[in-house]
Amino acid sequence: MAETDASAHTADTAVPRLTVAVRNLSVTYKVYEQPVLNARQILARGLRSRQASSVEAIRSVDLDFVAGEAVGLVGSNGSGKSTLLRTIAGLQPKSDGHVFVTSQPQFLGVAAALKPRVSGFRNVYLGGLAIGLSKEEIAERMDEVVEFSGLGPSMTRPLNTYSSGMRARLAFSIATLRTPEILLLDEALAVGDRAFRERSIAKINEIRANANTIILVSHNLNEIRQTCDRAVWLHDGVIERTGSVVEVLDEYENWSDDH
Amino acid sequence: MWDVHVPPGNVAYFRSVLERRDYMVYAASNELRSRQMNSVLGNLWHLLNPMLQIAVYFVIFGVVLGVDRGEDYFVFLSIGIFVFGFTQRSTTSGANSINNNKGLLNAFSFPRALLPVTSTLTEALATVSPVMVMYVVALVSGVTPTWTWLLALPLMGIQLLFNFGWALVAARATSSVRDISQLLPFIFRLLLYGSGVLFDVQRYTEGRSYGWIFDFNPVYCIVTLVRWCIIGGEFRSDLLAIFLGWTVLVGLFGLVWFRAGEGTYGRD
Repeated sequence: MAETDASAHTADTAVPRLTVAVRNLSVTYKVYEQPVLNARQILARGLRSRQASSVEAIRSVDLDFVAGEAVGLVGSNGSGKSTLLRTIAGLQPKSDGHVFVTSQPQFLGVAAALKPRVSGFRNVYLGGLAIGLSKEEIAERMDEVVEFSGLGPSMTRPLNTYSSGMRARLAFSIATLRTPEILLLDEALAVGDRAFRERSIAKINEIRANANTIILVSHNLNEIRQTCDRAVWLHDGVIERTGSVVEVLDEYENWSDDH
Repeated sequence: MWDVHVPPGNVAYFRSVLERRDYMVYAASNELRSRQMNSVLGNLWHLLNPMLQIAVYFVIFGVVLGVDRGEDYFVFLSIGIFVFGFTQRSTTSGANSINNNKGLLNAFSFPRALLPVTSTLTEALATVSPVMVMYVVALVSGVTPTWTWLLALPLMGIQLLFNFGWALVAARATSSVRDISQLLPFIFRLLLYGSGVLFDVQRYTEGRSYGWIFDFNPVYCIVTLVRWCIIGGEFRSDLLAIFLGWTVLVGLFGLVWFRAGEGTYGRD
């Protein structure tokens, strides 16, 4: 920890500490043109393998992320943003290249469902224990979670009675129980209401200020403007542009308007 | 810095699973509590369920079909059903553990083996009351307790390790080929008859050349061994050796094979 604090203080002067290094990364999905065959077709095909065409979701991407920065990934639907984020988390197999990290990234997906028939309280325990916290740590910080998520009395109700916004609020609160060194957010704030979004943005800024790295995928460009220093624009699995938020988002917006 | 896509070594991986013991205990007790939550009799079902099971099989095989007129048939049958059920339920819930926890899988990063390991532990806790019923049945039926009764417990401890192995294998198998969960009930139906749960296999295989097949069936081994602990008879050290061999083999294979698929769980 001492090392992290030190680098936080010297972040302005010293060379920033690299936390995530993506090197020549490619991700290929295999797509089966004819996923369901009938028995005769299977017999006719024999032992030959199914004809698969592959889709290159990410093509030779190189990216560096340093401690204390928040980076927004933007791009149209199907540009490979979520795939890239999941691959950095190690949840999506790569086909080529490397993702180097300093610690296990904590990934939070869009409107995470958690355990539907279990109460909000118990979900905090299940999620917190799964990501490696102790029962005592969770008990200590439960009040904080209740306050931050703003769920109050709903915490005793099972999750299948929650709206998708409430679930997202709870999942975000759990994922940030222990400040992760590398936090990956895939539209995690998209369904939350305005009040929660503001609190989350404050939380993201706090996490970043503590010399951690945040990478977030969002279609809400304001969210990225409010939280990120840098933005990466992906198009068809390739980096179209990377740079300061203002520059990249302006260009991206102009491009989006034209298409 | 290290590569996220180079999975940690087997030892480091399973240490990270074991570090999450708190999760296992919490999730297991949570699951057991919620299972009977909506029923009128609640927790009583943990006892009633195994009792009803033996009652049904006893009426059909003991009374109607008259499979075995031996005095101890009731005890023989109870032990068979509980020991068999322990492995069956562990494997089946291991197979379902990935699918049942999709929400958790897609929300957070954690070692995925935590899920089948926890589901096996849940079934082990659920087996505590059937085991007690098993001892009560033996007492009531007039079997004299001996020191070997206690040996049934470490034996079922080894069976728990055996179940961990199969739960991991079943979890990976069903997550790559969903159809396997449809096949599992039939595999276990076949095993039920092939493991001497309902009748004494030796009576039917005496003098036949294929009798040895049963000896290599691990479920037959454990069922026969636990029966020896409680009812007595001839001790089969060969069955113990075969069962231990299976436990080590399936355990190691399950650990390594499941870990190798770490990045593939929970995706559609």
